[in-house]
Amino acid sequence: MRELRFHRELYRGECVDSAIQVYAAYAEITTEEDETHWIVRIAASSPARERRIGDEMANYALGLTVREGKP
Amino acid sequence: MTMIEGIPEDLAHVDLDEKRAILDLDASLYPVEALYGAAYVFIDRCYVFLDRPAPQKLRIVVTPKSLEGGEAQLRQVVGELANELVSAAWRHQITQENRARIEAVTMQAISGAMGPPSLDDLEDFDFTDEAFEDPLGIAMSWEEKYAKKSDPAEETAAKGEEE
Amino acid sequence: MQLLDLRGQLDRTSQAFFRFRRLGPERTLITNAEGRWLILSDADFAAYATGAVVEGSELYRRLSDGNFLRATWDEAKARDMIAARKQFLGYGPNLHVMVVTLRCNETCVYCHASRADMDATHTDMTPEIAEKAVDLAFMSTSPSITIEFQGGEPLVRYDLVKHIIEYAKAKNETAGKTVEFTMVSNLSLMDDEKLDYLLEHKVQMCTSIDGPKDLHDKQRILPTLSAYDAASSWIEKINRAYVDRGLDPSLYHVEALVTTTKGALGRAEEIVDTYAALGCRALFLRPIDPFGFASKTAKMVEYPRADYLRFYAEATDYILELNRQGTQMIERYAAIFLTKILRGEDPNFLDLRSPAGAGISMLAYSYDGDVYTCDEGRMLAAQGDQTFRIGNVFESSYRDLVGHPTVRAMVIASNLDSQPDCVDCTYNPYCGIQTTHNHKTQGSIFGRMRESNVCAVHKGIQDYLFGKLADGEPHVLEAFERWTTVRAREHFLHDGAGSADGDP
Repeated sequence: MRELRFHRELYRGECVDSAIQVYAAYAEITTEEDETHWIVRIAASSPARERRIGDEMANYALGLTVREGKP
Repeated sequence: MTMIEGIPEDLAHVDLDEKRAILDLDASLYPVEALYGAAYVFIDRCYVFLDRPAPQKLRIVVTPKSLEGGEAQLRQVVGELANELVSAAWRHQITQENRARIEAVTMQAISGAMGPPSLDDLEDFDFTDEAFEDPLGIAMSWEEKYAKKSDPAEETAAKGEEE
Repeated sequence: MQLLDLRGQLDRTSQAFFRFRRLGPERTLITNAEGRWLILSDADFAAYATGAVVEGSELYRRLSDGNFLRATWDEAKARDMIAARKQFLGYGPNLHVMVVTLRCNETCVYCHASRADMDATHTDMTPEIAEKAVDLAFMSTSPSITIEFQGGEPLVRYDLVKHIIEYAKAKNETAGKTVEFTMVSNLSLMDDEKLDYLLEHKVQMCTSIDGPKDLHDKQRILPTLSAYDAASSWIEKINRAYVDRGLDPSLYHVEALVTTTKGALGRAEEIVDTYAALGCRALFLRPIDPFGFASKTAKMVEYPRADYLRFYAEATDYILELNRQGTQMIERYAAIFLTKILRGEDPNFLDLRSPAGAGISMLAYSYDGDVYTCDEGRMLAAQGDQTFRIGNVFESSYRDLVGHPTVRAMVIASNLDSQPDCVDCTYNPYCGIQTTHNHKTQGSIFGRMRESNVCAVHKGIQDYLFGKLADGEPHVLEAFERWTTVRAREHFLHDGAGSADGDP
């Protein structure tokens, strides 16, 4: 299980959602939120795969957020 | 965690197990726009993750997609990223200060190159693409704006259909 | 370099906007927003910076004439000069690069990505693509357009070059633009019939000479003969043909470019002598750029930019010496900067202006119909980077291309008033940056100028030129004056409807 915590002041929620949709086919992804973060948990067949999917997803969410502008 | 020679550990360090480098920034020195600008430059060669570990801190975690050069490569990435951050922060400030001049030149350059639209261009132009709010009803026709209310029954039916 | 210590004495009320750069002892250059400049002695600069310039003094007059004093600052004078420098903003693409094929019969050490082997016919442009490209070029808002044939080696597709010339000239019967044709060729596939046609149709020819025969042939390899012999014999023949047609050889000659590789450093005088012997009146001492070759080749041909600047100074000193002895030659980089510095005009060299010309003043049409903001953009595409592709001749309208978001981003990124370092640089009024170079070397079109090779070269050349201006040697100033006298090469202009230019 890998956990990514996207800070709500730095990532747009809809951009994190879009990133999750893109990578949902490759892992089991669950979400949660607290006051400061969008929390994404990734479960896949191996830790290496979880790590790769998490990294790619983070770049994707960042790219979309930069394009849309800060939250 | 390993500190990087010449850089205080509370500013930047490398995590060789995770093959990543971590930079902590004073948020009063770097606007978020600069953080985005600098981070974006690296997403072709690194995985980049942003965080705010404390209210006045910004954090960049950067993991090279291919780490053939080990610690030296991480150090290089941190150095380049730090330079890019300074550049982006300053550029952000300059862009705000010179906004009018930059916009005027850009507008003149693009409009000078494009020239006026032809009738064909206007015919092809998709005006529906530009959604905008119109609280004062400026874009509404007089008929739409001042027409008597239609039959309430019809209104309800229409609403129902929409729902 | 000894610094002036003016701490605690600075005055912030008497000067109009200025930037400054210390060139050496007793030499501080000041420039203002409109590009006027003065070189001040230490005492004069100290008086200026501390507000101690005496009204009515010679220094006061110089500063006032240059629009450097707040008390006499003339807004109209500043505005008019800035407008004159930015005149190029009113028009669309003038330069249209047509890559008629990627095939090339030469193999050059610094060029892999923008060439293909001679059997790669799939990298030839079709007539349909060529016509579409010409149609787009004629849609430019610019009243004059230059169609530049490139490759690969454009003479490999001489038939298509002819087709484009004839199609463009026919089109111009109704379009009424001023059209020029130029061809960048290694000349090795030239023959008398082709040359007659190209001369008759007033096609300007440009080639590469990297230096003396051994250096040229080492860097540019032809399978069966010497690339240098092939190029040099045709240069001489073409230059003779211009003279036979009654054209002034100082104005009409084959333009040749030097690509300065590691092998060229240390051979500055030999390279200049080679050009002089060939009757080439202009050298363009370009440093090598990173677009055409793979990174492994870089080690073989690249070098630190300080080495290039030493080479540049050595070569240009020698060119100036030849001028003093009566051989008129110019160095193009210097001529471009000096035209801005001494004349207050912009010669519209697209990589050396703010904003740069990619997309708004030039377009590059690749053999397959894809359109790029500039030639470097299509070279990067050949290496798999499509960042600067802005459309295709079959799919994109002219306005789609020049209004493309990539073009807009490049306009903003190459505006020196949006760039850290450039915004405060003394050379801001004369300089320019290359967004494609920034992208390739630093990962973003904005780049970081302090770490940029292009910036180092531009600053170094301007340091050299202002040093010469400060030295004030009469023969140098006289040569600089000549180098900045722009004489139009009217013979090469094709005028369209309603004109009688006597074209065949």
